[in-house]
Amino acid sequence: MCSAGKAERPLVGAAANEAKRELEGLLDARLADASAAERQAERSRRRLDLTLPGRRPPKGSLHPLTRVHDEIVAIFAGLGFSVAEGPEIESDYHNFEALNIPRDHPARDMQDTFYLSDSTLLRTHTSPVQIRAMLVQKPPVRIIVPGKVYRRDVVDMTHSPMFHQVEGLAVDRGITMADLKGTLELFAREMFGPRSRIRFRPSFFPFTEPSAEVDVLCFVCHGDGCRLCKQGGWLEILGSGMVHPQVLKNVGYDPEDFTGWAFGMGIERIAMPKYGIDDLRLFFENDLRFLEQFA
Amino acid sequence: MKIPYGWVREFVDLRLTAAQAAERLVNAGIEVASVTALAPDLKGVVVGLIEAIERELGRGQGGYPLFLCRVSIGRERYAVVCGAPNTRVGVRAAFAPPGAVLPGGRRIAAAKIHGVESQGMLCSERELGLGEEHEAGILEVADAKPGADLVAALGLDDHVLEVEITPNRPDCLSVLGIARELAALTGARLRPPAIALKESGESAGKLARVRIEAPDLCHRFTARMIGSVTVRPSPAWLRARLRAVGLRPISNVVDATNYVLWELGQPLHAYDYETVAEATIVVRRARPDERFTTLDGQERALDASMLLIADPRRAIGLAGVMGGANTEVSDRTTRVLLESAWFAPASIRRTSRALGLRTDAAYRFERGADLEGLVTASARAAALIAELAGGTIARGVIDAYPRKRKPQHVRLRMSRVQRVLGIAPSPAQARKVLTGLGLPVKARGADLEVTVPSFRRDLSMEDDLVEEIIRVWGYDRIPSTLPGGAISLVTHPTALRQSQTVRRALVGAGLAEVVTYAFTDPARVELLRRPVDPKPVELMNPLAQDASLLRVNPLEGVLSAVATNVRRQQADVRVFEICTTYAQTAGAKPGRAGLTDPATINPATTEPRWVAIALTGARGEPGWAGATGPVDVYDAKGLAEHTLDALWVRAATGEDGVLSGFEPDCHGTLVTESGAIVAEFGEVAAALRESFGIPPPVFAAVVSLDAAGAAAAAPMRFQALPRFPAVERDLAFVIGGEQTLTAAQIESALREAAGPLLRRLVLFDVFKFPDGRTSLAWRLLFQAEDRTLTDAEVNAIQERVVRRITETFHITLRSG
Repeated sequence: MCSAGKAERPLVGAAANEAKRELEGLLDARLADASAAERQAERSRRRLDLTLPGRRPPKGSLHPLTRVHDEIVAIFAGLGFSVAEGPEIESDYHNFEALNIPRDHPARDMQDTFYLSDSTLLRTHTSPVQIRAMLVQKPPVRIIVPGKVYRRDVVDMTHSPMFHQVEGLAVDRGITMADLKGTLELFAREMFGPRSRIRFRPSFFPFTEPSAEVDVLCFVCHGDGCRLCKQGGWLEILGSGMVHPQVLKNVGYDPEDFTGWAFGMGIERIAMPKYGIDDLRLFFENDLRFLEQFA
Repeated sequence: MKIPYGWVREFVDLRLTAAQAAERLVNAGIEVASVTALAPDLKGVVVGLIEAIERELGRGQGGYPLFLCRVSIGRERYAVVCGAPNTRVGVRAAFAPPGAVLPGGRRIAAAKIHGVESQGMLCSERELGLGEEHEAGILEVADAKPGADLVAALGLDDHVLEVEITPNRPDCLSVLGIARELAALTGARLRPPAIALKESGESAGKLARVRIEAPDLCHRFTARMIGSVTVRPSPAWLRARLRAVGLRPISNVVDATNYVLWELGQPLHAYDYETVAEATIVVRRARPDERFTTLDGQERALDASMLLIADPRRAIGLAGVMGGANTEVSDRTTRVLLESAWFAPASIRRTSRALGLRTDAAYRFERGADLEGLVTASARAAALIAELAGGTIARGVIDAYPRKRKPQHVRLRMSRVQRVLGIAPSPAQARKVLTGLGLPVKARGADLEVTVPSFRRDLSMEDDLVEEIIRVWGYDRIPSTLPGGAISLVTHPTALRQSQTVRRALVGAGLAEVVTYAFTDPARVELLRRPVDPKPVELMNPLAQDASLLRVNPLEGVLSAVATNVRRQQADVRVFEICTTYAQTAGAKPGRAGLTDPATINPATTEPRWVAIALTGARGEPGWAGATGPVDVYDAKGLAEHTLDALWVRAATGEDGVLSGFEPDCHGTLVTESGAIVAEFGEVAAALRESFGIPPPVFAAVVSLDAAGAAAAAPMRFQALPRFPAVERDLAFVIGGEQTLTAAQIESALREAAGPLLRRLVLFDVFKFPDGRTSLAWRLLFQAEDRTLTDAEVNAIQERVVRRITETFHITLRSG
């Protein structure tokens, strides 16, 4: 560089730069090769066995009844239903009388009751919360009420002294039984799949008029008859009906002004066919081998 | 209730099979649990006529003479040996010719009896599997044609519908009621049973008197008199029919009343007229402490709320529930007083429940009998008794009817039908439906005026008729729509949001959620309850004594789940439950006023909500990356802290816990800044654990959701990230084996001594020396918001901290 003339200096510089770039390029390539070889060697030294099980965080599980509960709540929340709750220890008034089930009425046989005193009991359904909710708010009402309920039934494959219900209640001007059917149809499709169909059968509940028992088309056999639906093609999932005018009067609503419907479904009764569980007792035994299947 | 379909078809012409009829009923709200063929286990058994008795062959097993009979079955004749007491010429009876098959596959063949060949066998009820009767002899079938198939002759070639009638429809608790429904559903005409009533002689009113002293409980009492009866067993067809519906044949008179009960739904009672003192019936309330022996031979203690049928001297029947032994019809009875009455449903129900006496009569009366139809039922039964027992019916009926039923009309607006259902049939269609159900209808402009007959007590208001219309017209005609109206904000209660948060956190932490029964054993409560605790809630009618209380301690559920799994060879259990305990509120009385007040949830009891966690066995699954140790109390504490973190509740280790069920020396709490206990944790008390049959130690934590909800969660606020580097220092202190010093005490002194530049303090090591001393090591992180800290600054703080701690607690800094 020093021996180069002034005029040549730029040329020499350029050539030197070029040489430098070339050398650097070669060096980089060699280095890259070397490190690739190094990594290769490193890998073969480590010899990872990726078939070893991963290091998982411990696996918990949500109770299947909670899963179904959450699903029901989510479906109805999407339809504008808020959740309401009430006590498990209820008054005879809320659980029966306000719901049009007087003392010494045979309708009381429909629900065998645990009594705590003459006037208090373990609620036999979530329907008393209908009364509680309507007493504190004016229509429109759109609520669902999940919760534990109690009936004096001995434990067996299909009975339990405690189980879970979800109550639904909609009261407003212009609410009809057709709205009930449409709502429950939508629910069934969300819960049991898009091919689900439901059927209404007349029934009797003292606090609804007209009343309907609701069946869902068996989703195993689609109506052909199978073990799950006991060859009937349909599964009974809930009871429902138009809120009885007397019940509306009991909470201070004018039945000429407002109509409404209510339904009550057993969470177990939804969960059992949904998951193929054939013994109600499994829900309350809490065997981990059962629970872990719902992780 | 069992309804033979053949019986139904006597009253309505139906072109439906039993199964089709059942389906129609189900679609109209009459539940049919099953349709079963009666199909007795018989083949080839016919009606045989004993044409002649050829000769006597000696004595048979029963001591009766054995005869050789000639039995005709129309064209053919058989020589049959028979030793039944009712063997006589002219009898038509069940006959099994050779080749016939009796129950249990017993094939009849010709056999030698007393040296004579018997070509077949004349059979008793028991031999045919149709009943228990055997001693009375061969089963007589009076009106049947010789050679006719026995099963058909007895009406047993039928199907039985097992119907389940809802409590509002007592009118359907009868064959006629079901026939009426089917008539309405198919448009066929209903033909109620024809009653051939031949009255003669004296008028009933001259023979007996009826006095109702409790008209509030007995709105109507009728009596008929039937004289000159011969009480004996009913004919085969009647016995067969009663048996088909599950009733036990008794005698012609009693069977007739039961037959009419089933046919028309009206309970009736027959008294032996001679046993009724002064031929006078008094309907009155029982006297306090009155005792009475019912038909079943049981003496019953009565009270003044119960209604009795009495004569002037004594009680003769428990009204609407059961007759009395003292006036029972027997084979010596010649005159019958027939009761057909109406009793107040609630009273019958109370009496029947109080005495534990559930009868077919009480079942119907408590649902409501037909105040007007009971006269028809009485006539029908009287005619039947006269036909079966050969009696004569006295003229007229004694009818005490103090509370006359008022005609009832209900106005039905077609607009209401539309408003309730979202659809309505034409008025003409609606009218047809109602008329078909036996409800007279008149048009009133656009509306209908419906007269409610006495057998439909369930129809009292407009919407009841709306249901009748859609029930018959078809629920499948209701369209599907979605409710309109204003949309309001969807809200979920705090309790639900809390539960969902906790579930997410604990499932994420590897726990399994459990759901358990709320019942508990008084023996366990004894173990858990201290004198200061509120009283447990007790069931008046528990299913079992060891499930007669509601649980008092949140750990009960999770411990039962642990027990189940440990017993089933699953040693590692990590579970949680969101649960409720139940307690009585001290001093509160459940008053009607308080309970109807919507503002009060329930003044007499509380239902606190909890998260309960129980752990036993290993901390995690064994894995190739290293075994995990057994769970200990810090796992339980950590999960309680984790739960509170999820609920956004700040809490620190507090003082003594208040819940029972923990080992006293391994029981801690977490408290909020204001001092409220939000969680407790520790080792489950051995006595409690053992009461569940769990051998290994269990660690548990309980978070109070109520307390956590009340602990005002600090609002989430962002803090600026540090801009200057931090300096870390580790300090370890050694505590002497004899010192009672806690980590929390040292930590709090550390924070105070370190001052505001201490940003984080983490206890990262605990080491126990073999000699009993313990080393606790903390990592301290210092950071300033406005400058880079110098070593000199941090060293000064560290020296201050070490001096303070060692001097305050007399412990040493661990060197190296």
